[in-house]
Amino acid sequence: MQLNSKDDQKQKIDLKSALSLATTALLGTATLANAAESVNKDNWSFDTAFLYYGESNRVTASEGIIAATKTFNDDKTLNLKLTVDALTGASANGAVAQPNVQTFTRPSGNGQFQVSAGEVPLDDTFRDTRVQLNAQWTQPIAPDYTASVGGHISKEYDYLSLGINSNLAFDFNKKNSTFSVGMSFFKDTFSPEGGIPNAFSSMVINTNAESEDENEFKQSRLTDSDNKTTVDLMLGFSQIINRRMVMQFNYSYSMVDGYLTDPFKMLSVVDQEGLAQYYLYESRPDKRTKQSFFAQTKYHFEKNILDFSYRYMWDDWQINSHTIDSRLRMPLSGSSYIEPHIRYYQQGAADFYQPFLQQAASLPNFASADYRIGEMNAYTVGIKYGMTMSGGNDLSFRLEYYSQQPTSAGHAEPGVLANMEIYQGVDAVIAQVSYSF
Amino acid sequence: MASPCEVIVETSDKALAQKVGKLVANEVWRIEDKYSRYDKRSLCYQINNNDDRSISIDNETFLLLEFSNTCYLLSEGLFDITSGVLRKVWCFDGSDNVPSIEKVSEILPKIGWSHVNYSETSLTLPKGMEIDLGGIGKEYAVDRAILLIKEFTDLPVLVNLGGDLAATSARNNNQAWQVGIEHPGFEQSQPIVISLLSGALATSGDAKRYLLKDGIRYSHILNAKTGWPIVDAPRSITVNAPQCIQAGILATLALMQGQQAENFLNEQTIKFWAVR
Amino acid sequence: MATSIDKVNKFTNRCSILASLILLSGCANLGVEPWERDLLAKKEMALTASPIDAALDDHIYFSKEASSGGKSFGGGGCGCN
Repeated sequence: MQLNSKDDQKQKIDLKSALSLATTALLGTATLANAAESVNKDNWSFDTAFLYYGESNRVTASEGIIAATKTFNDDKTLNLKLTVDALTGASANGAVAQPNVQTFTRPSGNGQFQVSAGEVPLDDTFRDTRVQLNAQWTQPIAPDYTASVGGHISKEYDYLSLGINSNLAFDFNKKNSTFSVGMSFFKDTFSPEGGIPNAFSSMVINTNAESEDENEFKQSRLTDSDNKTTVDLMLGFSQIINRRMVMQFNYSYSMVDGYLTDPFKMLSVVDQEGLAQYYLYESRPDKRTKQSFFAQTKYHFEKNILDFSYRYMWDDWQINSHTIDSRLRMPLSGSSYIEPHIRYYQQGAADFYQPFLQQAASLPNFASADYRIGEMNAYTVGIKYGMTMSGGNDLSFRLEYYSQQPTSAGHAEPGVLANMEIYQGVDAVIAQVSYSF
Repeated sequence: MASPCEVIVETSDKALAQKVGKLVANEVWRIEDKYSRYDKRSLCYQINNNDDRSISIDNETFLLLEFSNTCYLLSEGLFDITSGVLRKVWCFDGSDNVPSIEKVSEILPKIGWSHVNYSETSLTLPKGMEIDLGGIGKEYAVDRAILLIKEFTDLPVLVNLGGDLAATSARNNNQAWQVGIEHPGFEQSQPIVISLLSGALATSGDAKRYLLKDGIRYSHILNAKTGWPIVDAPRSITVNAPQCIQAGILATLALMQGQQAENFLNEQTIKFWAVR
Repeated sequence: MATSIDKVNKFTNRCSILASLILLSGCANLGVEPWERDLLAKKEMALTASPIDAALDDHIYFSKEASSGGKSFGGGGCGCN
């Protein structure tokens, strides 16, 4: 080691503290308790979680996950995950509130339901259970190169999704920088009860089970099922900035092709007084190209760890969105922590979004009143508490409040609609418990 | 550990002192059994004779490899735990049996930390290469012993494994441990007495492990890059640091500076005692 | 016919790419030595520290909003949107 006079001062300090750090890494951590572990590292580790999601008047969902990870020799990992979720409740069907009672046919064609005056119409036949299986294999394929491949299958009674993904990561600059390229391909098939309605076909009110009404209903259906394919491409770059900070930047490009319309949703066609004359099933384009730019930073303070991220999304439906997400992990003692969380989301409306159609206007190419592609703000506040139990296993609890507020994208509200609630907010409580062993 | 080991406990409770002694002895034997190059049952022996196949390692071994890696990088390659194979060529028995340049060059390809491939769970050594944790094994055992003692009792305890030692705390009434450093075999051996309040002491020195030929004294500290001993190093260096393994590495790195050993440590503002 | 929204989008695209390139060029001298990874090696400092939480949240926001992915693949997956 040559000690040149100009490097002297810097080298001196480096050596002493470098050794201190290295010694702490060797001796100073809790891992010491297991220093005499058996040589075999072939065991499984499990993560389980149960989540409850409840909106005040609408959808309730519960979801359970069990994930198992096994690390083999030479850093090969297998990850298997089973997810089961169940949804019940009502969801807005796209029609607009009216000063009188409205009657709607259930999308399945079986029966009708009524909505009181002044209320936003909600269709409560939205009820489903889903099972999903994921498998992911990761391994180094060359020094500094890590590859990963995985598969996904998800099934609900009316929906099947099959997907594969692969990813290649390259570490350089003493593993301070990483480039990654990933691709995924999904094929989804949708067979809704009652079939897929014709775009913009009129919703038939099935007042009785007479054959002519049945035929009319059948005629409003285009086909029994349809599908869509999604291709995603992702480029990522992560960089260690200093001893306390790491950053990540991703660019994603996604192309969806196929049936993208929601067969359960419709639009009210209103006259100049704002009164609904009839209802038409919605229609969306059969292609969508989305791009997003994502940046994330993690910073380790003396004890706390801050996670801050921003995502900007834009697509060819003219939807733009901004998402800011931040968490602060604060250790309470040696084995427990508390982590507050805040998220803010804002999106602009799709160019074919309209809260309702005007009878006088000509029918556009595409239209949807689904508030989820309209203009909205949403925020989430939450808190998570976690602890390590005496056996070394982790238990955590998470409670969050999600509030969504759709806003007007500038559409005029003629007649009675000026007094109706067109943009209704949705609030939900999220509660989760997780256990890892 | 091939040297006398002692555990000194300041207490009047004999049973407790014996328990502490046993605790330390078991841990030291565990480390010795695991990392001894010579014991065929040890993990180290398995690693060194696995012929370029990958072997599973546990967390402790991984941490030691990481530490060795750091020392390799900090010393710019002078400290290298794969240099143990040099003992096949060098025998430091005080004689004049210096090996030829060809013999040393032959074995150099079998040295090189950069050829070692390891991860959190596995280690692969090319055939003919060996890892030798002798340079840090004793000091690591001292630090581990101190950790275990501190979990077991608050009593002041000093653990001394053949000259590499550390104390859990000062003695009762904040008195220092009086440690004498003897250098057997040295002509002018004035034992140095060090007052140790806390931390560790590690000594790196040659005593009988040297070769003397044509008036040149070859120290047993070998430069891993050239395969030849460091020249003009002090006969012995004792370093004080918070932990024994730190002290040990600093003493070894200092000796590798040869002539510059004392300057090197002075510039680092490290407490040390050197004998030339 | 390029609308003003298209122009804003194109501008944002170019800005993002430019920002990324600037960041990349400055990255050669950033980073840490292997012995300075004590904090970074902690599980909590991983870019996705709780993958299960992230998967559950992604599912919720994918069902209730028009955006998905960014950090990981958006993909298809379920009939909830």
